[in-house]
Amino acid sequence: MMQRYDYLKAIAPDAGDALAVCTGWAAREWWAVRPSDGNLKTRTLGLVSSIAAGLAIALPRRKVIAIDGDGAFLMNLCGLPTIALQNPGNLIHLLFDNEVYEASGGTATASRITDAAALARSAGYKHAFWVLAPEEFRAAFLQAWKQNELTLIAVKVEPGQPKDLPPLKLDEIENKYRFMRHLEASEKKNILNPGFDSKI
Amino acid sequence: METNSPKICAAAIAAGLKKAGIDFVATLPDEKMLELIRAVERDSGFKHVPLCREEEGIGICAGAYLAGKHAALIMQNAGFLNSCNALTTTSLQFQIPALLLIYYAGDIGDRGFTTLGSVTEPVLQGMGIRYYILRRREEIDETLCGAQTLADDSKRPVAVLLTRTVLGAA
Repeated sequence: MMQRYDYLKAIAPDAGDALAVCTGWAAREWWAVRPSDGNLKTRTLGLVSSIAAGLAIALPRRKVIAIDGDGAFLMNLCGLPTIALQNPGNLIHLLFDNEVYEASGGTATASRITDAAALARSAGYKHAFWVLAPEEFRAAFLQAWKQNELTLIAVKVEPGQPKDLPPLKLDEIENKYRFMRHLEASEKKNILNPGFDSKI
Repeated sequence: METNSPKICAAAIAAGLKKAGIDFVATLPDEKMLELIRAVERDSGFKHVPLCREEEGIGICAGAYLAGKHAALIMQNAGFLNSCNALTTTSLQFQIPALLLIYYAGDIGDRGFTTLGSVTEPVLQGMGIRYYILRRREEIDETLCGAQTLADDSKRPVAVLLTRTVLGAA
């Protein structure tokens, strides 16, 4: 079995100008393979998919990738019907299922017996399925991108990550401002309100 | 014609949200806010996102804000309690504003949820979220516009507690 990093590496060259929302250990891996101010690292367990959905709903012509884990996915199950109801075709929801709470020490999640793709399908996702290898993962990612229909691509992975990944050199505030400035530049619109300072 | 019906009150609050610049509203109903949610849903000036649980709404509104929307969340105070972790580790930690319209269940004159009523303000205070109690229709525009400006300038969530009287509830 491969690790999450092997799969992220497989799609990074195809991620183009997509916005990516990730958390935990996956963030460092994603930044290593796709360094960009269009990456956002979240802090609330479970909210990757909801924050990505908010972006996707607000920017329907921009691709948004949610990089989710099984612990987070299970914590935010009630977010799935909400996302399915909005049905953002530009959202590609990736689920890396290592069956443990990796960032919290490695105790088991329920995903060993719970079928996450079936949950997403039942919630109303247009497409939700498992893949088995990086080539298949990449093909599914490209298909979701082209089809522009709400898709969850799930894959079982081994816990762990490469030892030599560069550390993330930004805190959440800098991450937020760079992300928003990146969106302003690429979407050619004013987003940040400078507030009262702009009036004096 | 009744001047204080839930429908008329809801229309006034929805108009106040418009004046405050809100264009994105996530909701989870309380019976007392039914007409308000209907007013939001009917109005194409709002992108309406119905929720299954309030905490995910904090995430959705945060994403929408990052992309340039002006987001509000309509929920009961039970839902506010449901969303405390996301408010702390997403809204406050990333300095992301949001206008929280919270029905004040268990407030004076509202029966059935007195425990909820008794913890609402202490929890808001504990989290450092500034809040304003909206009781009178004449104060809707000023309160909503002021709260949204405060949220935007301070880059924090700001709460407006909606009471029975301002919603025209029996």
